[in-house]
Amino acid sequence: MSSGMHELIGRLRSLVQRRRRDREMAEELEFHQEMLRSRYLREGMSADAAKTAAKKRFGDQRRWHERLREVWQFRWLEDLTRDARFSARLLMRSPGFTTIALLTLALGVGATTAVFSLINGLLLRPLPVPDAQQMTVLHIDEGGPQANYSFCTPFFRALENRHDAFANVFAFNNDVLQVRGKVGNENIPGVLVSGQYFTAMQVAPLLGRYLTPEDDKVGGSPEGLAVVISEPFWKRWFNGEPDVVGRKLVIANTPFTVVGVMPKRFTGADPTTQPEIYAPLSSDPILDAPRDHIHAGMHAWWLTVMARLAPGMTLQQANAQLQAISEPILHAASDAASYIKDEEGRFRFGAEPGSNGFAYVRFLFRKPLVTMFAMCGGILLLACLNLTSLLMARGAARERELATRLALGATRRRLVRQLLMESLLLALAGTTFGLLAAPMVSHALAAMLLGGRRPGESVALDTSLDMRVFLFSALIAVTASVLIGLVPALRATGSELNEQIKEGQHTSRAPERRKLLPRALMTAQVALALVLVAGAGLLATSLARLYRSGLGFDPRGVVNIAFSMDKQQLEGDELIQLYRQIGDSLRTQPGVKDVSFESQVPLSHRGWNGSYSSPAGGEHLIWLNSVAPEYFRTMRIPLFKGRDFTWNDTKASGLKIILNESAAKQFFPNGEALGRQIVSVRQKTSFEVVAIVGDAKYKDVRSPAPAAAYVPIQQDQQPKLSLNAVLRVDGPWGPLVAASRSLASRLAPSIPAPVVYPIDELINNSLGTERMMAVLGIFFAACALLVTAIGLYGTLAYATSRRTAEIGIRMALGAQRSRVMTMVFRENAVVASIGCITGLAAAVMLSKLLASFLYETTPRDPLVFGGSIMLLAAIACAASFLPALRASRIEPIAAIRYE
Amino acid sequence: MRDESTDSGALLQGTLEMLILKALMRGPQHGYAVAEWIHQTSQQLLRVEEGALYPALHRLELRGLLKAEWGASENNRRAKFYQLTAEGKKRLSTETQRWARLSAAVAFVMQAS
Repeated sequence: MSSGMHELIGRLRSLVQRRRRDREMAEELEFHQEMLRSRYLREGMSADAAKTAAKKRFGDQRRWHERLREVWQFRWLEDLTRDARFSARLLMRSPGFTTIALLTLALGVGATTAVFSLINGLLLRPLPVPDAQQMTVLHIDEGGPQANYSFCTPFFRALENRHDAFANVFAFNNDVLQVRGKVGNENIPGVLVSGQYFTAMQVAPLLGRYLTPEDDKVGGSPEGLAVVISEPFWKRWFNGEPDVVGRKLVIANTPFTVVGVMPKRFTGADPTTQPEIYAPLSSDPILDAPRDHIHAGMHAWWLTVMARLAPGMTLQQANAQLQAISEPILHAASDAASYIKDEEGRFRFGAEPGSNGFAYVRFLFRKPLVTMFAMCGGILLLACLNLTSLLMARGAARERELATRLALGATRRRLVRQLLMESLLLALAGTTFGLLAAPMVSHALAAMLLGGRRPGESVALDTSLDMRVFLFSALIAVTASVLIGLVPALRATGSELNEQIKEGQHTSRAPERRKLLPRALMTAQVALALVLVAGAGLLATSLARLYRSGLGFDPRGVVNIAFSMDKQQLEGDELIQLYRQIGDSLRTQPGVKDVSFESQVPLSHRGWNGSYSSPAGGEHLIWLNSVAPEYFRTMRIPLFKGRDFTWNDTKASGLKIILNESAAKQFFPNGEALGRQIVSVRQKTSFEVVAIVGDAKYKDVRSPAPAAAYVPIQQDQQPKLSLNAVLRVDGPWGPLVAASRSLASRLAPSIPAPVVYPIDELINNSLGTERMMAVLGIFFAACALLVTAIGLYGTLAYATSRRTAEIGIRMALGAQRSRVMTMVFRENAVVASIGCITGLAAAVMLSKLLASFLYETTPRDPLVFGGSIMLLAAIACAASFLPALRASRIEPIAAIRYE
Repeated sequence: MRDESTDSGALLQGTLEMLILKALMRGPQHGYAVAEWIHQTSQQLLRVEEGALYPALHRLELRGLLKAEWGASENNRRAKFYQLTAEGKKRLSTETQRWARLSAAVAFVMQAS
């Protein structure tokens, strides 16, 4: 064995057997002293004298031990702990500096980690299934810019059994299922899955079996309709009873048999949903009644299709194969000749990596998340720059200490190590704080971002810290500490230190080069802060405009109550009667002023449109809504001409329609619309225009009000119409929840509990992304300003304190106090100006990236940019004022004597 | 090693280690005896400080040139006895040759007229 190995093993062993080694050392040294004593005795000393002499010769026992221990231990480990202790003491001695450093770092790290864990949960984390890398997502490429990820049933069924490249092909569709509970039906999030879904997932059920292709048939397997439930649902609904397999669940008024329970960690193929019930695809006509996506064939593009690659298959091979079968499937599965003609030659199936499943919300959130990540990165970088400048300034203040130590024989490496240790300690502590805060922050952000996309539909995202997040933050911590520490450490221990000892504070001759770096750092910081502030300003301005912009109705005090009527018995006029009863009861509730009904909720991202034509205006696609009487009064939509609907506008009384201004202008560009007819292009039925109302926003807050029309609910073609009651309420809306529940259980016992929510909430949710970005942006901007102010103040204060003597001399030679003030002030003014100019250039370039998030706001809004610059200038002035004032108060005599 | 210099000039670390290895040629010894032997054999010219002796002994043990065992000393007390390992013997012979060459060379230079 080489002596090096020997050494390592010996040291490691001594780490473990430390006590024993110490004891043996003591004994060995004791023996040596004993021998010395007996020799002195032999040489004729008295016992006492011998003892003293031996002691004297030996000196201090402790130092001995220390020296012997050094032989055995890892020298660097010792030094490291010593450095750490020393650094900690130093940091404790300047609590202000330490606190600021820790807070800024914790903020940067916490925010970055929080956003990263969101990104991780949404975009990076693989599905919790074996060999997730074999998973692929299928799409249809029609030669357009964006591939289509939605399939219709015929195409999917054709693919399902024609594949050699794939082990399994499966489809799913997230759905809300109505499950019969103790009182009426309850809405439970679920997913419809095709036969090979579970086979492809390869996750064993906790109890029972999973669904197979046998279950995915009309009417289910010979044993009847089957469902698989999730572990949480089993615990909640069946109290975790072990005999759950074989029990019945009544879904959509139809009995299903529970055949299996999936473990909690299995959340399906969409990482943003947590289905409680997995039902076979073929039962869609039952579950989604009165809708039927399967028999709608080419008209329902409702399925997400995924596939697991066969062992040994590559994505390229799979794609080649899909391409080969695309045309045949198009011809075989499609029943629409015109569609085939349209698609021929450009239609093909494709596969892309799907190891982390498929989530529609990814398309919505990828960009905002990445933008936020950049913002967080900005604040982290800012924190690092700030700390670097502050440490540098501190290093400057500690130059004499360091120089003294160098002169006493400390190596430069040693000093650099110690200074690095300081920044490492800071970085570690800061990162730890940040990490502790990160989960809370990411929860809050996830809630804001994904907050109820639609009432009754929740999006869940697992943002827990996993290995990837952890590694990420470790990387940040190390990078930050090196970023923070290395430059100041190298500078502080640089070659000019000897000069420093000789010169003390007379650094008037300090070469400009030495001043350049800290200034460049501060300039970068100011520029970065300006970018953040300007970005936040743009986002906030846009958000304010979104809220203020004309909705066309007054959302304050409007409450929606959604009734799901699709699974109960009543139809047609009877159902309308039921709605009238509900409306009458709601009107008697305390605080309710107006009540009406609508089928489409404005701003809910859902809509219904149709093509209509008039002789004068031609054919136009308009958005539609069916509403009850008094709708326009309830919503405060102005009725310009004509009359409101009444309950007498039945199917028998002739079809009526109300147009908004834009639609009226389209259909009747030159003349009176009232009393005229417009014709539905598809149904060839004609409608009489009975009123003109004001424009209101329809699908989305972000787009201007479109041309729209309203029809009476009595004349709506939909069977078993599910309507929303709209109420204008004075005071709190909370009591309405219980009231509408008892009302529903009294008048329509079988329907699920109505969902009550104020329209404001819907607007807030639909603006979740914008709100989150604006809130984060403003928060970060405020932090950036604070950090920059601290940085500017700190560096200038240090710089001035080192020039005390020089300034003293200037004053002694007759410099005016105001001159001195200006001189000091100028230092920061130059930094701030250059920083603002570079920041402005960067902000103008980067603001293009924000353009897609902005509403009625140009990415180069001069007000925002001007304001940001003013703000930063004000902050820079405030930060420079104190040091400058202090410099002007320097007493020449005291300053010079101070040396 | 910045030891306090002895009254007979500081021994270089490498040289001290060589002397220790030499002292243990004749068999296992405890630290005191090693120091004593060097002191006597050098006509009382070299005195090995305990502050240098023990770290050197431990270093050699750590590198595997010596191995140590606890045994009874001449006055019947527990003492740590060091002895050469095979590795140590090899090192001693190379050091001896190196020293001979070095001292001869230094002598030539110093005697040059």
